[in-house]
Amino acid sequence: MRRTYLGEFEELVLLMIVILDGQAYGVTVSQEIEEHTGRVVTFGAVHNTLIRLEEKGFVTSELGGATTERGGRRKRLFKVTTLGSRALQDIQQLRNKLWHLMPDGALKTIGL
Amino acid sequence: MNAPQPPRWAKILLRWLHPHNTLEEVEGDLDELYAYWVLRSGKTQAILRYVLNVVSVLPPFVRRRQSKTNYEQSFFLNPAMLKNYFKIAWRNIIRQKAYSILNIAGLSIGMACSILILLWVQNELSYDRFHAHANRLVRLTCAAGDFKAAVSPAGMAGGLRAQMPQIETAVRVSKPVTNLMEAGDKKFQEKRVFFADSNFLQVFSFPLLKGNAATALKDPGALLITEEMAKKYYGNGEALGQIIRINNKENFTIAGILANAPANSHLQFDFIIPMATLAKTDWDLQNDVWGNFNFYTYFRLTENTDITPSGLQKLGVQISKIHFAHGKDSGQTLKVDFQLQPLQDIHLHSNLQIDLPGHGNVQYVNIFFVVALFILAVACINFMNLATARSERRSKEVGLRKVVGAGRYQLIIQFLGESLIFSFLSLFIAIGIVFIILPVFKNLTGKELGIHLTDGKLLVSLAGIAILTGLIAGSYPALFLSGFAPVKVLKGKMRVAGGNLLFRNGLVVTQFVVAIVLLVGTAVVYKQLNFIKNRNLGFDKSSLLYMPMTGDIWAKQQALKTTLAQNPMTENFSIISDLPTALISGSTDVVWDGQTANNQIVIPSLNVDENFTSVFKTKILAGRSFSSEFKSDSANYVINEKAMQIMGMNIQNAVGKNLTMSDEKGTIIGVVKDFHFKSLQYAMEPLILRLNKWGGVVVVRTKPGSTEAAISELGKISQQLNPAYPFTYGFLDKDLDNLYQSEKQMGSIFNLFAGLAIFISCLGLYGLSAFMAEQRKKEIGVRKVLGATVTGVVALLSQDFLKLILIAIVVASPIAWYAMDSWLQDFAYQTTMDWWVFVLAGLIAASIALLTVSFQSIKAALMNPVKSLRSE
Repeated sequence: MRRTYLGEFEELVLLMIVILDGQAYGVTVSQEIEEHTGRVVTFGAVHNTLIRLEEKGFVTSELGGATTERGGRRKRLFKVTTLGSRALQDIQQLRNKLWHLMPDGALKTIGL
Repeated sequence: MNAPQPPRWAKILLRWLHPHNTLEEVEGDLDELYAYWVLRSGKTQAILRYVLNVVSVLPPFVRRRQSKTNYEQSFFLNPAMLKNYFKIAWRNIIRQKAYSILNIAGLSIGMACSILILLWVQNELSYDRFHAHANRLVRLTCAAGDFKAAVSPAGMAGGLRAQMPQIETAVRVSKPVTNLMEAGDKKFQEKRVFFADSNFLQVFSFPLLKGNAATALKDPGALLITEEMAKKYYGNGEALGQIIRINNKENFTIAGILANAPANSHLQFDFIIPMATLAKTDWDLQNDVWGNFNFYTYFRLTENTDITPSGLQKLGVQISKIHFAHGKDSGQTLKVDFQLQPLQDIHLHSNLQIDLPGHGNVQYVNIFFVVALFILAVACINFMNLATARSERRSKEVGLRKVVGAGRYQLIIQFLGESLIFSFLSLFIAIGIVFIILPVFKNLTGKELGIHLTDGKLLVSLAGIAILTGLIAGSYPALFLSGFAPVKVLKGKMRVAGGNLLFRNGLVVTQFVVAIVLLVGTAVVYKQLNFIKNRNLGFDKSSLLYMPMTGDIWAKQQALKTTLAQNPMTENFSIISDLPTALISGSTDVVWDGQTANNQIVIPSLNVDENFTSVFKTKILAGRSFSSEFKSDSANYVINEKAMQIMGMNIQNAVGKNLTMSDEKGTIIGVVKDFHFKSLQYAMEPLILRLNKWGGVVVVRTKPGSTEAAISELGKISQQLNPAYPFTYGFLDKDLDNLYQSEKQMGSIFNLFAGLAIFISCLGLYGLSAFMAEQRKKEIGVRKVLGATVTGVVALLSQDFLKLILIAIVVASPIAWYAMDSWLQDFAYQTTMDWWVFVLAGLIAASIALLTVSFQSIKAALMNPVKSLRSE
């Protein structure tokens, strides 16, 4: 199958979904990103990314049960799919490979 | 404690604009986040962030979640489905035979009509296009004021070519002449004989079957004949190199055999004789005159010449200037305008005098093309109407298909496919009909039309017609039926909606508008032809027999006159120069008393003898006619009323004035009442009568009932005085009738198609009324039980249709009036368009329609109500 392209923010959201392990939905994903990266993201960006990830087949979703705290509104819970976890692993592997290919000390001389 | 609430307006905005399928989760998420923000950074911050985030999930920023389908829709051209469509279509055709027959009959008759008309139109448009350089060939035509003619002087072809680099070659063709041709024991008068310049075959692409095209027309003692003529004179023997004797005088060698002139050529010839032969005797040719208009001149322009209308007009102006300058040198001051007429325009766009006969009319081509489209439209409407009327029956199928998962476009394709099957079936039947009707149609149009199914172009256009018809006819039912809501249909609550009824009524009205317009057209054409036929021409055209004076009779004129006068059958005779059907001579070289400026009007002239007024029964208004008692009459003139007006004279003072025509001085001795000496398409022109000193045509007024005897007497006289020539004769009234051949053809074609349009419309109406009667079966039953009469029920069922036809009459009348009025403008003398024509056309349409409808209504009305009501 053709490798589906995974954007940087998409990767971030996908990682969060894995981390949240079954508790991932709009609110938790937004909060986690803000907490761990310090980036202030709009809810729209998260929402759109979740839909896009689902279209690409990296996650599935279903509506959870109603809770009173949300005024009886259901939340949409996201789970990573095999394809999604595979994509994450591929990226990780690729990065590792590239890190290994780096000559020793090269990163330092670049100017840090 | 209650959770903190975000601003209401932002929430309303969210609810209003956010996509519905994700609203619930997003609203919940945002509420939760709001509470979180309030806790973390206070209310003001939270409201700000909330609003910002709401905006981020509104269009156009928000991504929409696609609603998930649980099954894959199959490809709409799936072979299994296609097979099913075909099966269903075929079963529908078979099950509902009456409906299918009505539909296919309507479509195929409509198509057959349009194919016939399009064949005719195509033939008309194909004229003179077969020449290799057809688009660069033009004809030189002239106009002196309103008098436009197709002829030009002999000298101009060469003269212009020398002065104008745009002219590549020029060829002159004479007017057709009648000659006596003799080969062996065969001897005929041939009318289609032309003299042509030696490059005739290089300019025009008439193929030479035998002989050398380069030299064929160089030898003055040789001529070309067509294949048909070769067969006529020599049978299957070799014609090339044989001798043909012309007019009992000269022998010509056949230097080449031409293919028969194509039917779609404006030049129709049997014999072509080199111009050099005519040049031996013709003064015009010998002196290259620029003043006598006696030849048809064609030019081939160079390749880079501007051949757009404006380009040709510029060339025409240039030619007029050259002609005027040339005339000035020789003392002529006549101003003639010249035009270059594209060869391909000659057939359809020629309204010129002294032109070759057999021209078409672009107006008729346009009219019939529109008629073809209309008839096809009527057939399509029929199909739509019947299909929509029956939609209720098929609505269940639509509902079921939708429930099972058919998409709307699949249904559209199915219905379009079905109508395409209908239209192709109809096409095959239509081609069959065309084959059967073609001989009749050929007769009607007087054209050599053929349908060649091996012609790829024709096949493509036929298929095009079928596809177009199928798509148009099927479009409305397809869109309409596919739009049914399955739940409503299957619940059985489907009623034919009001909008649908309105649409269907609109279609019926359109059909009848077309039919009524065609009917009015037929009536007006008929009326106009009748008007022409019965118009007082100013002379009595009945029982006028004529014989052209050819051959030896010229020399024996005195003997002829004596013999004619002695015979009681032929004593009432006159010898005139031209028949009133073919008067082509005219001159501007006329001077009269009181003239202030040079005459610029072409005044036709006719040479007549002393008997003219009595034989033709014309009326002398002032003075007298020519008479043998006055010896000086040979220098005298009689003019007609129109000429009198142009010359500024009146009844009282015209007689006695001096008149000079072509340098012959004379006196006006009489004024004759205007009579028509040309086709009625031309308004009355001035005319000068001179005493005939040479000959032309003998016209004999036969006594009632003795026409046959007169012909045989005339034949004897001809035999006696002119033994070398076969005897020919004609009837003036028949010739006059023939002048309106194309109008007559138009009339009969109109007749045919008006009839067919009505027939097709009625097929549709029949189907519709059957459907209506069926739908209202129960209502009729109840009405009958309650005491309605049969008449009452029939009236009830018919009145709806009658209303539609009334509307159609109202709509059609102005259209028909406008169309026929512009047709009548072509005639200088027109019949009136009376109101009763429209009423009559409407009445005919209405009564035919009523007849159609009543068949079904009466059937419905006569039905036993028990039968229709028993089921409830």
